[in-house]
Amino acid sequence: MAAHTGFLLKRRGFLASIGALGASSVLPKVSLSATAGDRRLVVILLRGGMDGVDLVQPYGDPNFALLRPELALTPATGLTDLNGFFGLHPAASGLMPLWRAGHLSFAHAIASPYRGRVSHFDAQDVIETGNPVGSGSRTGWLNRALAVIPRTASRAAVDITTSVELIMTGGNKTDVWATQSDFPMAPDEIRSLQTLLQTDPVFDKAGAGMSGLDPLPQIVNSQARTAGVAELARLAGSLLAEDYRVASFSLAGWDTHRDQKRDFTESARLLSEAVLNLQAGMGEAAWQQTAVVAITEFGRTLRLNSTAGTDHGTASAALLAGGAIAGGRILCDWSGLAEGQLFDGRDLAPTRDIRELLAALLFQQFDITATNLNAKVFPGLGFEPSSLFIKMN
Amino acid sequence: MAASFPTIAARRFCYGLKPRETPPSDINSLMLQLQKGSKAVPRFPREGALGRRETLGRLVSVRTVEERAAQDGRPNPALRQETQREAERLLRRDALSRVAQAVYSENGFFERLASFWVNHFAVNATATYEMRLLAPLLETEAIRPNLAASFADLLKAAVLHPAMLIYLDQASSVGPQSPVAERSGGALNQSLAQELLRVHSLGDQAEFSAADINGAALILTGLSLDPRSLEVSNRPGRAEPGSHVLLGKSYSDRARNGSDHLEMLTDLANHPATARNICNKLVRHFISEDVNHDMLDGMIQRWQASGGNLTEVYRAMLEHPAAFAPEASKVVAPFEFVVSALRAFDVKGGEFDALVNADDDRDGDDVPPPDGKVAPRRKPGVARLLTLQSLRRMGQPVWEPPSPAGFPDDAASWLLPGQFAERVAWARMAVRLLVSDVAPLTLLDMVLADLVSAQTRELIAAAPSKVHGLTMVLTSPQFNRR
Repeated sequence: MAAHTGFLLKRRGFLASIGALGASSVLPKVSLSATAGDRRLVVILLRGGMDGVDLVQPYGDPNFALLRPELALTPATGLTDLNGFFGLHPAASGLMPLWRAGHLSFAHAIASPYRGRVSHFDAQDVIETGNPVGSGSRTGWLNRALAVIPRTASRAAVDITTSVELIMTGGNKTDVWATQSDFPMAPDEIRSLQTLLQTDPVFDKAGAGMSGLDPLPQIVNSQARTAGVAELARLAGSLLAEDYRVASFSLAGWDTHRDQKRDFTESARLLSEAVLNLQAGMGEAAWQQTAVVAITEFGRTLRLNSTAGTDHGTASAALLAGGAIAGGRILCDWSGLAEGQLFDGRDLAPTRDIRELLAALLFQQFDITATNLNAKVFPGLGFEPSSLFIKMN
Repeated sequence: MAASFPTIAARRFCYGLKPRETPPSDINSLMLQLQKGSKAVPRFPREGALGRRETLGRLVSVRTVEERAAQDGRPNPALRQETQREAERLLRRDALSRVAQAVYSENGFFERLASFWVNHFAVNATATYEMRLLAPLLETEAIRPNLAASFADLLKAAVLHPAMLIYLDQASSVGPQSPVAERSGGALNQSLAQELLRVHSLGDQAEFSAADINGAALILTGLSLDPRSLEVSNRPGRAEPGSHVLLGKSYSDRARNGSDHLEMLTDLANHPATARNICNKLVRHFISEDVNHDMLDGMIQRWQASGGNLTEVYRAMLEHPAAFAPEASKVVAPFEFVVSALRAFDVKGGEFDALVNADDDRDGDDVPPPDGKVAPRRKPGVARLLTLQSLRRMGQPVWEPPSPAGFPDDAASWLLPGQFAERVAWARMAVRLLVSDVAPLTLLDMVLADLVSAQTRELIAAAPSKVHGLTMVLTSPQFNRR
């Protein structure tokens, strides 16, 4: 599999791969004058189950197009090439300047410990608490991490929502800031509501009529949603430019059971908008000190279902952005898409625990010790500073 | 799953289930709520009924003095604005208290009936300056103490309340041949007479003529208000002399002591068309727009046998088997929707009260939704945003019905797509502002208990996030029907 060597890191770590690329511009840009207390972390929760192989497509894997001919792209059909094996969904191509500047990477074939595929609620609880279903406390890993950040000034955390989400819930102080409270619904949210309304003809009619109104109600207005996402990310950025060092927000819209081509395109575009607005809201100095990570509760089936969508799967991808990450990388132990390599014969098989990525970011950005990470933030994880996800600068 | 009596009772006849509140177990426990509710002092007006009379007297006299000064070329706009703001602030506080009353009262059946009768004897709190202070008082003084009594008492208390006389322009009505008209002009105003026949008593399905409305209006002449105290007063100089006919009966002005209109109200209360109108309206409100005639006939019979005793009429409704039929055919109106959701969210007890208290003493206009760099839950005004402003957007602002006929009471009027969009928007906002770490299926079981259908449960369990799952609980057809 010679095609893999360009991206397969095989635990050699960042330094080796940076050397291999030989481009000094991708070296971490942490300036010597910046203090440790300037470092920042943003966690974006992609709710609904983001299809990692649609966002970062392994077009170099010959099985990819065979598994999902309807969705699989190549550089010839609009995919934006990343490294000769993986390519970025065209709707997210606005991120390419970041990729070229060394401010964008992806982790692939990663998953949380949740293997149920059934419930978004349970699976999101796992990526928010950092604990397998039913175990551990109902506090968020990001909140627990605050307590073990050595510098108190770095503990200023903010949730960009109208109420504290589980990821930020716990004994440590977090602030809540909101952009707007009537945030428009994502396409998957509208669809699941309409399916429920269809159980009663009177409500079905009322619900179906919403999208025919002029002016369009805010909650079903996709243009308002785009503007809202941009505003939310910009607000997060501006807060991080000031005193906050930790921030989190959610992006819905990834539960693409139907018409994935259309709905995923919108969601991928919004993710791209969110990252770019976060950067713009933050300003260059803060961005240089920032690591952004976007994670999801599970991936999706490789094959399409009968409604041109995909169902709940297992491993997915995570987006990493910011000046504090080593950019231009696809971090993974690629598991492959051959019949015998798929998880349960249907999903991308996970090769890495998503918590390892999160622990690496906390380790790198806030100097939280491995002992604390394994005991307090992600009990029982077994994170080591030699992790694939540590950039070793 | 078979729905139990307590679940149906709480949802159909009260404001829904609430954590740590025992739902009514039988008809007697619903009826007991009537007794308790009639004696309870409601949360509005905040300063109490007597206190409100004093506030009213003070503000009206300040404005009268200012008006006179203005006529003399010495207006005091600051004083006018100040008294205007004061009245608006009081109305807002009272309206918030009305929501809190419905959320926290354990006499849900009584509270639902209070809302029913407030809508039956509809007045608009923004019709005039004084109405802002008087509309809450109409409910406190006239409706609540009388809604379990005889209909005749309730009718007299509501129709003869200063709020009703101002709202329907009775205070300005002058008999065309009365001494006052002879001396200084003035005209007959038929508004009160018309709504009295058309809405309050006989109903628009009954047979009565324009001459009857005119007769009733003439009988009502002389009934007026003291312009200073705003107390009801008889002003014989405005009364039309002679006898006036309503529905074939002649009412004389006798000693001009104003008793003729009381006699008319008693007769209207006892008219068979009134019993039918009110019973029909009760059934349509509580049970179904498709009226069960067996239930209706039973209620009318009980009305007649008891001389219009409303407690007996309510009991006849509850005792009919159709009252607890499993089909939930009524769509909840916005006020019920908001109140029942706020009740479900009051998990620890007092959460909504805390929001209301944070809202106190805030002046100014509507609060924009939390935006910008604002921590929404800490922001004062959230209670108002979640209740008064949202109810206005959904089409049912507190104490501001669109006409003397009140708010509509049918599904079609509340489920236009634009209104439903407001419900969805409210649910999304309320879930984000009020709920933390509650599983959607837990909320579903809380609000619907043994009514939850397997289908509703399955579809909500599949929601793409908890926030959206909670939103779907509140926007589900099952939660929006009772």
